[in-house]
Amino acid sequence: MSVGEAELQRDRAERRRGLFLALPSFVYMILFFALPLVIVLVYSFATRTSSGSTSLSNWNLDAYRKLGEPIVRNVVVRSIVLAVITTAICLVVAYPFAWFCAHQRPNVRNLLLVAVMIPFWTNFLVRNYAWRILLSTGGPLSSLTERIGIGETNLLFTKTAVVIGLVYAFLPFMILPLYASIDRIDGRLIEAGRDLYGSGSQTFRRIVLPLTMPGVIAGSILVFVPSMGAYVTPELLGGGKETLLGSYIVTQFLTARNWPVGASMSFVLMAVMLVSTIIYFRAGGKNL
Amino acid sequence: MTERSGSPSNSHAAVSLRGISKIFDDVTAVDNVDLDIADGEFFALLGPSGCGKTTTLRMIAGLEIPSAGSLQIFGEEVGPLPPNKRPVNTVFQNYALFPHMSVEDNVAFGLRMRKVDKAETARRVAEAISLVRMGGMEARRPAQLSGGQQQRVALARALVNRPKVLLLDEPLAALDLKLRQEMQFELKQLQREVGITFVFVTHDQEEALALSDRIGVMDGGRLLQVGTPEEMYDAPVDRFVADFIGRSNFLHGTLENSTTVCLSNGDRINVPVVDSDVIAVGDAVQVSLRPERVMVCDPHEVPEGHARLQGRVATVTFLGNSIVYHVQLDWMTVVVETDHRPDLRRRAVDDDVALWWRDDAIAVVRP
Amino acid sequence: MLIFLYAPIILLVVYSFSASRIPGQWGGFTSEWYVKLFEDPRIQRTIGVSIRVALVSTVISTMLGTMSALALERFKFRGKRVFDALLYLPIIIPDVTMAVMMLMFFTQAFDLLNLVFGIGLSKGFATIVVSHIAFNIAYVSVVVRARVAGMDATLEQAASDLYASRWQAFRYVTLPLIAPGVLGGALLAITLSLDDVVVTQFVAGPGSTTLPVYVFSLIRKGVTPTINAVSVIMLVASLILVAGSVGLQRASAARGRQQLRTTGGK
Repeated sequence: MSVGEAELQRDRAERRRGLFLALPSFVYMILFFALPLVIVLVYSFATRTSSGSTSLSNWNLDAYRKLGEPIVRNVVVRSIVLAVITTAICLVVAYPFAWFCAHQRPNVRNLLLVAVMIPFWTNFLVRNYAWRILLSTGGPLSSLTERIGIGETNLLFTKTAVVIGLVYAFLPFMILPLYASIDRIDGRLIEAGRDLYGSGSQTFRRIVLPLTMPGVIAGSILVFVPSMGAYVTPELLGGGKETLLGSYIVTQFLTARNWPVGASMSFVLMAVMLVSTIIYFRAGGKNL
Repeated sequence: MTERSGSPSNSHAAVSLRGISKIFDDVTAVDNVDLDIADGEFFALLGPSGCGKTTTLRMIAGLEIPSAGSLQIFGEEVGPLPPNKRPVNTVFQNYALFPHMSVEDNVAFGLRMRKVDKAETARRVAEAISLVRMGGMEARRPAQLSGGQQQRVALARALVNRPKVLLLDEPLAALDLKLRQEMQFELKQLQREVGITFVFVTHDQEEALALSDRIGVMDGGRLLQVGTPEEMYDAPVDRFVADFIGRSNFLHGTLENSTTVCLSNGDRINVPVVDSDVIAVGDAVQVSLRPERVMVCDPHEVPEGHARLQGRVATVTFLGNSIVYHVQLDWMTVVVETDHRPDLRRRAVDDDVALWWRDDAIAVVRP
Repeated sequence: MLIFLYAPIILLVVYSFSASRIPGQWGGFTSEWYVKLFEDPRIQRTIGVSIRVALVSTVISTMLGTMSALALERFKFRGKRVFDALLYLPIIIPDVTMAVMMLMFFTQAFDLLNLVFGIGLSKGFATIVVSHIAFNIAYVSVVVRARVAGMDATLEQAASDLYASRWQAFRYVTLPLIAPGVLGGALLAITLSLDDVVVTQFVAGPGSTTLPVYVFSLIRKGVTPTINAVSVIMLVASLILVAGSVGLQRASAARGRQQLRTTGGK
């Protein structure tokens, strides 16, 4: 056998090994992920017949046109508003904390970061449920505010409760990328800013903020996207009173039996996610 | 073929490459290399990064298979064989010691893979560990060793298998300067002790000169010249080789006949006999003039019968043991290095000087 | 900040021992709810389903995810880029969309099987496991890939230079070195499997629901002290897993530092 043939053979054997390793997952993901995705896409162009079943014979954009109807539009707008508020609160709360973490000794810093991550790893449902207890009428928070004389608080089943729950759930997603970008700032740049007559706030606005922008963008997207699609939190803390996009989609499937609309809204949600992911990678998110 | 100079081309060559090429996708990493390495030789493959030296070594090791050509080890064709079927072992760059195994387990690895019996393995491992003077460290993990110690373990791990040829990929590059010098000495010593062929890859010309019996210089995938360190320094045949090993001035010209070059300023100079297989009469050539082999004197003091160049001192740089002059000729600048001795007259900037050299102090090289 | 993060969890634990029938009020110490909990057959059954789903989906997704990670980091093959992209999607796709996808897929697939082969299948344990594997492969593969990427590929070459076959090189060098990553991936898979409500809710059958889905439906009907107790059980389970992965990270970080010293000369 000549070396040329041997070279080709070894190359082919390597590719075969690679394919052999990847093939089980590849087949699995195509069958149980890519195919379902295509089915949803196809259904989003279908029509719901009067009997409640779905007709594929008539392709149209009706399900997407629903976005223009006031009910659906309100759901989408409400979801966006809540997600934006959640993101903003996370940003405001997380920035100083991330800054504080980045300026501690390495041991303290690691301890703080682990402390932030632990609640994030605990059961999602339990975390939401805990707030339900905390905010309940006559519950711990209410009795606390009563005792210090502010009076009873009835936050449960309000938008505020939903935002609190979302902030609680997704705060670590904001803290970690912010921490990473703040940690990377060269301290001499800030000193140089002060040396060149920048005030504290000027230095922050013109030097620190632009330098940590990738972290801000990455963190914002990591909070915004799951907030948009949240289902468990609004159900538990909002009491299902004010429907958000996630709940609306679930209802379309489990109650209203309108699959085309549910499918199209799932795709709208995924579009938000895809666009955000692209922005995330553009902002250098992969390095965070 | 570009290969030159005394290759012992008999059937007992330890390693023999004939027309070896390696093409990755569209890039030719190694281009038609012929090379014979003799049994017991300490051979260096020298060149800048990306010149193909490491790929050549990896082909000998079996980590890459050549795209074309024949590769023999002691007369046996091994080109298509995988690394675990070849009588060679490798000391990797950064050593590639298994971090999860002790020194002892690292050294024993090859014997265990070949199912050598336990008593024999234990004996040979102990022997190899004492050969590299690592006794007492058997239970340590690689992370607990210094760079020099890791290097020794990597050597023991390869040598314990009694390879016919030991391959070393930049064996000293990861060490700091002082340790590198110590290990150079140890490597040379070790090679004499075990008496097998060592082939090593380096980008460091001093290391290659200090360690090896012969050197092969590579550039752009081609093997430019092979020879002893002295041959490579004194009689380079290629401008790249002259420039890579040591420093040199290059005077442009044309080869008029096998002993005369006509320089581009019109002067004719005598040169050592040029092998017509390497450079043909009439070719454009360059004359390599080592800075320390050029003599500086007053314009009229050049001894009879020597070529000369007239110029003016442009800069003087004092380096302690030597002085470097940049001498401006009307068509180029020549760098000259002279000893710093009380009996040699020191020149000043703007002095008019003449430069001369012995005819055998220069070499004609391909441009 | 840390108070905000931990107070809800700690209060939940405290109130789970409250004798009051109203879940958010203190009425003296009792462990009554825990006793009740373990007497409830529905909860026992759903705990059983949860554990079985988590174990089966973790074992399979860890194997498949590890193989994918090796393929993507160490090999070239046709369709690699498509495969890579396909493995990223489950991580970024919203829960609800994933749930919708799996529901529609199983409904269609079962209709088709019924029509063509006359096999009547329904949603249940298997559909939950299949769905969990579908998102877990991606997570396992990301975790293991990081580990494989951090491992010097020349170690495998060194093994083959020292007469190891491909299998031996994997068995004695690659596998021990990526083991912490594989274990970390498995822990993440268990956690995600035990965590999931939305996808499972869509693909669970009437007889086989996991604990979180059952608890979710209970909470929506109204909170009871028993739910407090169940939540604490779930909390403890996830904390054990966290402790495992934090410990693992520490161990491999320590080894990473050692390794850094190994190659630090360069």
